[in-house]
Amino acid sequence: MTGHSRFEEQVLPHLDAAYNLARWLTRDAHDAEDVVQDACVRAMRYVDALRAGDAKAWFLTIVRHACYDWFRRNRPPEIAADEGAIDAAVDTAALSPEQIFTRGAETRALQDAVAALPLPYREVLILRELEELSYKEIARIADIPVGTVMSRLSRARALLQRSPLLQAIDGQSSRGER
Amino acid sequence: MNCNEAAPMVVAHADGEVDGLRGHSLKKHLKECATCAGKHQAVLDLRTKLRAEVPYHHAPQSLRDRVLATVRAAEGRSSVARRGTGERWGWLLSGALGGCAATVLAWFVGTAVLEWRNSEDLATEAVTAHVRATLGGHLTEVASSDQHTVKPWLSARLDFSPPVRDLASEGFALTGGRRDYLGGQPVAVLVYRYRDHMVDVFVRPQQSRAATPPLRSIRGFNVARTTGTAMDWVAVSDVNPDTLTAFVQRLAREDASP
Repeated sequence: MTGHSRFEEQVLPHLDAAYNLARWLTRDAHDAEDVVQDACVRAMRYVDALRAGDAKAWFLTIVRHACYDWFRRNRPPEIAADEGAIDAAVDTAALSPEQIFTRGAETRALQDAVAALPLPYREVLILRELEELSYKEIARIADIPVGTVMSRLSRARALLQRSPLLQAIDGQSSRGER
Repeated sequence: MNCNEAAPMVVAHADGEVDGLRGHSLKKHLKECATCAGKHQAVLDLRTKLRAEVPYHHAPQSLRDRVLATVRAAEGRSSVARRGTGERWGWLLSGALGGCAATVLAWFVGTAVLEWRNSEDLATEAVTAHVRATLGGHLTEVASSDQHTVKPWLSARLDFSPPVRDLASEGFALTGGRRDYLGGQPVAVLVYRYRDHMVDVFVRPQQSRAATPPLRSIRGFNVARTTGTAMDWVAVSDVNPDTLTAFVQRLAREDASP
């Protein structure tokens, strides 16, 4: 089988997963498309290195690399944040005007809270909860030890559970029993 | 097991990462300890909420088309040089080929006829058809969750009438149907969604063929086969093998009823 048909048969079926990850990392539909296209070009080049059976994790690793390269070129501050600065980011003050504008609807609260998570937490959460990957696969994709996957995941969940966005909504709905 | 031992594992257990003996004693502890059970439940509750409220972004068709065009442009350049080495399934994926050189196209079609005649392997064919439909973004020709819409649509276009059932209550939501080819004959394909996975179910009138293994894994997809009273059933998906097998057998059991 040639590289191209290998790519079409083993990698392309995971295009949705690739786009979903890129979309959640860049938080923008147009940027996500650019990233996925770049990732596809890279994947095609290295498809010979792909072993059978782990195409999804392999491809998502490439997508994540493409994302971070894109950040380096276009939004360096997003990946420059150190762990200490991360907590401060999870705060209504850190929301962009568009996010504040769109967060009226109750169903969007959780979605906005996920989008507001700092990048290192957002990526492990998306890979675990939406892509249903194992700790080991996430460790490989995000290039961190399994222990770090677990601690980031637990931090991400804690941040969501006490996100001001969700608390505001919960407050409203408990007051709103009119 | 006490709380000190259980605490570090509770979340991992909710993530499906603890099994065997440790998983067993942890489950026992969760039944007895409200504190740990609460932590466990909190992870599951958040997950349910996330999956219900946070959108899964599917790749837009325009992106899919652009990526395919890029791949095929590269393929067109290298196939000329590689001609004759035999690209087993390349022809199948060449359906939407537009810009490729005519000579390469002619070669693909030639290979197609040969491959099609030689192919005995139904499971491989089914996977290829599933991949081709997924890539092209045309899983369904008739998109409906109503079995009374899908069935007549298929019956009108095939020389048999496939049994169609929506099993949304069991997690498999009917999303539509299409026609496809399997073993050189037109067959019905019922398309189901299971969580975020697409499932293709190929249905054709029963044929006397050599028995094949009921379950196979091909290129990362699972293929579950069974035979009902009137029909052959072949399900293809990346859903886990046990779930897929149970599903296809459930469908086949129904196929006697109209």
